[in-house]
Amino acid sequence: MSKANKAVRPKLAQEGFFGRLSYYSSRAVANLRQNVFVSAVTVGTIALALLIASLFLLVYVNLSGMAEGWSDKVQVTAYFDAEPAPLAVAALKGRVQAIPGTAKVLFVSQAEAEKRLRSRLKGQESLLEGISAEVLPASLEIRLDRDHRDNESVAAYVAKLKQIQGITEVQYGEEWVRRFNSFMNLFRLMGALLGGFLTITVLFIVSNTIKLTIYARKDELELLGLVGATRFFIKAPFLIEGVLQGAAGAVISLLALLGCYFAFLKNAGDFLGINPASAGLSFLPPSHLAGVVLGGVLLGFIGSATSLKRFINI
Amino acid sequence: MIQLHNVSMSYQAESAALADVTLKIPKGDFVFLTGQSGAGKSTLLKLIYAELSPTRGQVVIDGANVTRLSRKEIPYLRRSIGVVFQDYKLLPNRTVLENVAITLEVLGWGKRDIGKKVYHILKSMGLEDKVNSTPLRLSGGEQQRVALARALVNDPKILIADEPTGNLDDENKEQILSIFKEANIRGTTVVVATHDRRVIENSHRRVIRLEKGRMVEVPDVQG
Repeated sequence: MSKANKAVRPKLAQEGFFGRLSYYSSRAVANLRQNVFVSAVTVGTIALALLIASLFLLVYVNLSGMAEGWSDKVQVTAYFDAEPAPLAVAALKGRVQAIPGTAKVLFVSQAEAEKRLRSRLKGQESLLEGISAEVLPASLEIRLDRDHRDNESVAAYVAKLKQIQGITEVQYGEEWVRRFNSFMNLFRLMGALLGGFLTITVLFIVSNTIKLTIYARKDELELLGLVGATRFFIKAPFLIEGVLQGAAGAVISLLALLGCYFAFLKNAGDFLGINPASAGLSFLPPSHLAGVVLGGVLLGFIGSATSLKRFINI
Repeated sequence: MIQLHNVSMSYQAESAALADVTLKIPKGDFVFLTGQSGAGKSTLLKLIYAELSPTRGQVVIDGANVTRLSRKEIPYLRRSIGVVFQDYKLLPNRTVLENVAITLEVLGWGKRDIGKKVYHILKSMGLEDKVNSTPLRLSGGEQQRVALARALVNDPKILIADEPTGNLDDENKEQILSIFKEANIRGTTVVVATHDRRVIENSHRRVIRLEKGRMVEVPDVQG
């Protein structure tokens, strides 16, 4: 049967893309109003699921930031056999700075080294009797970029450093770096695993809830098909409903997260003594907040799309 | 308008619901389809509006071979067929007006035109006071008339009704039948499945009888 055979229509109010979009949107809003309870269940489920996911994200982002901060302790010290002349120091620093991965270079002269030792042994000065600055070697204290703090990068860096004339010994706390990197790898793996499980759980719960809510309206889907609605005509309002429900669920979850944050989490860092110097846990950055909202919208859209497939049989 | 050629239909692992049925219903005809429960009446109706596809044979509606229609073309066929379902299929959370309007929304009508047309047809069926009621607040007869209004609101070429008088009293039956007759006078081809003998006898229309999926008697048009 050709499209020309379809019934004569008088005035079309929904012609054009925007006209149709406006019709589908108003139908979606009307459907939400007519199915308040079912819609509320869907929004509530999405909000709860996303709240759990974003709580995990908040804790992960903070712990990750904290652990990254510890990596600042990765420091390489290069010792000289003899103190370089003041003019040579600048040239040496320049050569070290040119090695990829160098973040900051500080020259510690023999006098400075002695001063530091004395200040560390304050109250036990007798131990330093007979020790002069010449005993302590001059050195360069080097901080590395974040990307160069893993085992392999540090080892490669040290090898390059040793090629500089005048440097006789390099120390960098090899064992500490190794352990720290193992910890970070484990931390990232656990984060990915937990995040993965959580994502699957959220997808499962939300898609099943949407499936149930669409099942509750299967008569409507069936009737629309029987009076001649196309698949797109049936699906469009449901998909818009899904998007609206997803967005509403995401916004509610973020408001709840904000509430939890100010009520319990903001000062949890101090309370738990994780890092006494920190100013407490920080809230999710805007990019992550946008990600949660987008996640909600996608959950609603994909959940509705996959569920509709099952119940539309035209 | 409606032609079935050697149509057979069987559901999975069951005996044939329809067996080798051949019939022609000309444009503007009014036909009763009768037979015991399980005789195949509803199956035959479902084949006409393409809810089912025959296991064998051809179904031709208004020149289009339904068995060859693609999934995308079926909605356009259905738009020219008004169907009154046995269980009415009214949406309980929508008003009477919204239930009837669905047919026109699907066709892309504007809101104002839908309002006018729906009010007009509901008024012609004596339901103008029930426009904003929900179906659950209506009597059986009223619900049946709403279902009829939804089927007729776009002036379909064919009207199909499955046991439309099943649960109604005599007064309501009369009212429903007169609506069918009016639609038929306006040029709509009408097919009514019923096992109500009195309705058939009082109507003096052509009757197609089914027994265990087979057509057993096709009397001539009686007027």
